[in-house]
Amino acid sequence: MRLRQGQFSFLPDLSDDDIRTQAQYAIDNGWAVSVEYTDDPHPRNTYWEMWGHPMFDNRDAAAVVYEVNECRKEHGGKYIRVLAFDATHGWESVRMSFIVNRPKEEPGFRVVRQEAPGRVIRYSVESYAVREPEGHRYG
Amino acid sequence: MTESATYTDEIAETSDDPVEARPSSIDLASTFEESGVPEILRELDETMIGLAPVKRRLRETAALLLVDKARREMGLATDTPTLHMSFTGNPGTGKTTVALKMAGLLHRLGYVRKGHLVTVTRDDLVGQYIGHTAPKTKEVLKKAMGGVLFIDEAYYLYRPENERDYGQEAIEILLQVMENNRDDLVVILAGYEDRMDRFFESNPGFRSRIAHHIDFPDYGDTELLQISETMLAEQNYRFDAEAKALMAKYIELRRKQPHFANARSIRNALDRARLRQANRLFSHATVPVTADDLATILADDLRASRVFTMGVPDSARESSTEENKE
Amino acid sequence: MNDMSDIKTVTGAKRYSAGVMKYAQMGYWEPDYEPKDTDVIALFRITPQDGVDEVEAAAAVAGESSTATWTVVWTDRLTACEKYRAKAYRVDPVPNSPGEFFAYIAYDLDLFEPGSIANLTASIIGNVFGFKPLKALRLEDMRLPVAYVKTFQGPATGIVVERERLNAYGRPLLGATVKPKLGLSGRNYGRVVYEALKGGLDFTKDDENINSQPFMHWRDRFLYCMEAVNRASAATGEVKGTYLNVTAATMEEMYERAEFAKTLGSVIIMIDLVIGYTAIQSMAKWARDNDMILHLHRAGHSTYTRQRSHGVSFRVIAKWMRLAGVDHLHAGTVVGKLEGDPATTKGYYDIFREEYNPMALENGIFFDQDWASLNKMMPVASGGIHAGQMHQLLTYLGEDVVLQFGGGTIGHPHGIEAGATANRVALEAMVFARNAGRDIWNEGEDILRDAAQTCTPLKQALDTWKDVTFDYASTDAPDFAPTPEVSA
Repeated sequence: MRLRQGQFSFLPDLSDDDIRTQAQYAIDNGWAVSVEYTDDPHPRNTYWEMWGHPMFDNRDAAAVVYEVNECRKEHGGKYIRVLAFDATHGWESVRMSFIVNRPKEEPGFRVVRQEAPGRVIRYSVESYAVREPEGHRYG
Repeated sequence: MTESATYTDEIAETSDDPVEARPSSIDLASTFEESGVPEILRELDETMIGLAPVKRRLRETAALLLVDKARREMGLATDTPTLHMSFTGNPGTGKTTVALKMAGLLHRLGYVRKGHLVTVTRDDLVGQYIGHTAPKTKEVLKKAMGGVLFIDEAYYLYRPENERDYGQEAIEILLQVMENNRDDLVVILAGYEDRMDRFFESNPGFRSRIAHHIDFPDYGDTELLQISETMLAEQNYRFDAEAKALMAKYIELRRKQPHFANARSIRNALDRARLRQANRLFSHATVPVTADDLATILADDLRASRVFTMGVPDSARESSTEENKE
Repeated sequence: MNDMSDIKTVTGAKRYSAGVMKYAQMGYWEPDYEPKDTDVIALFRITPQDGVDEVEAAAAVAGESSTATWTVVWTDRLTACEKYRAKAYRVDPVPNSPGEFFAYIAYDLDLFEPGSIANLTASIIGNVFGFKPLKALRLEDMRLPVAYVKTFQGPATGIVVERERLNAYGRPLLGATVKPKLGLSGRNYGRVVYEALKGGLDFTKDDENINSQPFMHWRDRFLYCMEAVNRASAATGEVKGTYLNVTAATMEEMYERAEFAKTLGSVIIMIDLVIGYTAIQSMAKWARDNDMILHLHRAGHSTYTRQRSHGVSFRVIAKWMRLAGVDHLHAGTVVGKLEGDPATTKGYYDIFREEYNPMALENGIFFDQDWASLNKMMPVASGGIHAGQMHQLLTYLGEDVVLQFGGGTIGHPHGIEAGATANRVALEAMVFARNAGRDIWNEGEDILRDAAQTCTPLKQALDTWKDVTFDYASTDAPDFAPTPEVSA
């Protein structure tokens, strides 16, 4: 299974140079770029762990690549994504998001069904990885 | 990731075979003209007085970098050259100004992407408590990426007398980034020549990563006088004949006194002279002042300086933290 | 234009003596009137009957859409009637269209009930559209004052929060309408949904006329669709949705279907424009109350938006729908099979997505419009588009849009999942290239070809549809063309 979240998950993995190019696009738009990681990639897990604050004052995307690689040193076995945040009125939200690091094995998710009256089914989607405690997922 | 890198490179570039894309010859002279580098060198010549050996080194460095780029385009070289530098010389000899020009030059030649200059000292890199230094240093390095990081009086990072000094942590991160991120930023270490030499002796990691040394000689008396006139002219002031002669005398005396800082000492002296001129015009203002009065520095405005009266520079009265700057 | 110097408003007691009087003389023509910031302004294209003066025609439109009737009534004198009269204040000939005129008419804010599209439209496009002295009448644009905009809820979710809920940023969203439109059973229908979502689409969609028919009753559809949505979500790790059409004969029935969609965990429901403005506003309120994205299919709009001389421009419908509070609305593709030239379509997209629309005659926008922080609507582009047009779509439509490839997904020679993947890869490669500074307009085909090297489904899609274009002249182009050679 390959986690398809983010802007470029259907393309082959991004090289550091690709990451720099995309992050530079964000910076040139005036957006703050940040790095986040997680070992719980549930589609509704909004809050991945922050690898430092968003980079508000960096002109060159090499800074982003640098932080991605710093993050990989500690969390290379997890998912890492790069986000771009736009603070302008009417947005004040994320404008870009793409995955830059994945675990070697991606076990994916299972659907849990709970049958209810009237043929209604209540669904949960659960990552196989979260059966292990935090810090022990993805080998 | 290798496989993917190939793929996305194809997205970014249309040329299939880099060997075919190589030029068979390069016109160095026209490449040089087109790079915009001559413009920077010309600007340097016009705006900075003296510094002949520095200007020569800069021209040589530019030529080297241009040739190196050409070599890489022809496939004769592959690695990004080490571009980190050290600028040695006494205070006020133009190191920061030249660093700014160097950043522009590296940008024009395509060695840094943005070409901005970030100037820092130890305090910007080293923290106050445990765990403070690494983020601080990284923050500065990240800001400098795409441009040039200028570390003034870099040797203060190294304090062997205190073995728990956080400076060492900054040095380690600095060395790592200077090695691994050569494409992303150029570091210039600056300071007094002798202290710099000692710093390099105790930190061979820096020595091996610095490819270019530029020494900034002190200005001669005539050059400083010329500088003083240029500085005044920039603000629409001028000396009268007597004041100019006295300024020459001032330079001669000031050089022998402590904390002499070349052009910076001149700028400080002129700032004080302008203050005295304003006071003089104000207290003697019985008749309307002319534009000429407002623009002229008289000998009296200089004579009150402690350099003449007591044999110490005015700045000696200022706080000790200012001393190094003066 | 005729000489209007003899047309003067009659004042005093004479104004109210029984009988028939020209509308222009009754106070509906005020050439010196300066619209107030709080006035609603409407711009009509009028085509008077032969021999009818355009100023009198404009005044008649103002009168008939506000206080007037065909004859003088003394009861006017019981009211502050001068305030309530709509005022035609400007009449311009339409460029290159003899016999047609643009009439600007201002309405006092007190003429309208707050927050009611039904009330607004009953005045502005009520009786007046059948008025005999006019051959044709078209409402081209409206300026809605901030004071009035603020009485509406606006889009239930808005583009920003929709993206946050879907966890999908920085690229157009992808959708597909399940085909064939009619006849699939619930179980078969859900198969299409599953394949398309698993392959890479964000949304699938019911068609406008999929409600509750003998071949598939609505509960069946909802149940199978949500099984498909959740399976696809687990297969990809993405939030997925399917627009469950809750359109029905009565409000009660629509609420029941919407509640069931909510029970099953759907992120989005859908309604058709034909349910009417009040029903749309009710569903928008329900969607806001229940954290549901609301998709509107503009079924039926072409009956009154398409012809240049008569009806209501789609840009006006778009403004009303942003007030009414829908999140998604179809707005044209430029390159697909349905009506829409690039300049006019840009005007629509700006109305959907901007906080402020400056006047832009070349895009058919006649007024500055401040949206007063109302949420933004997500435009939906669908109808005859395919992966091979991705560079054109991204250039024309930008990234805040849902691109719906119905045939372009389900018609893929290697199946629905392959079709969806082809679209998603084409999309991501194009966004990547744009961000990397490439000229996607000119290099689009190279970019797609390169992406296809590692994506067989995309290669198959490009081969299948490489020559498909829909190149017909538009019937609704702007009247103010920036270059003279562009014409309708």
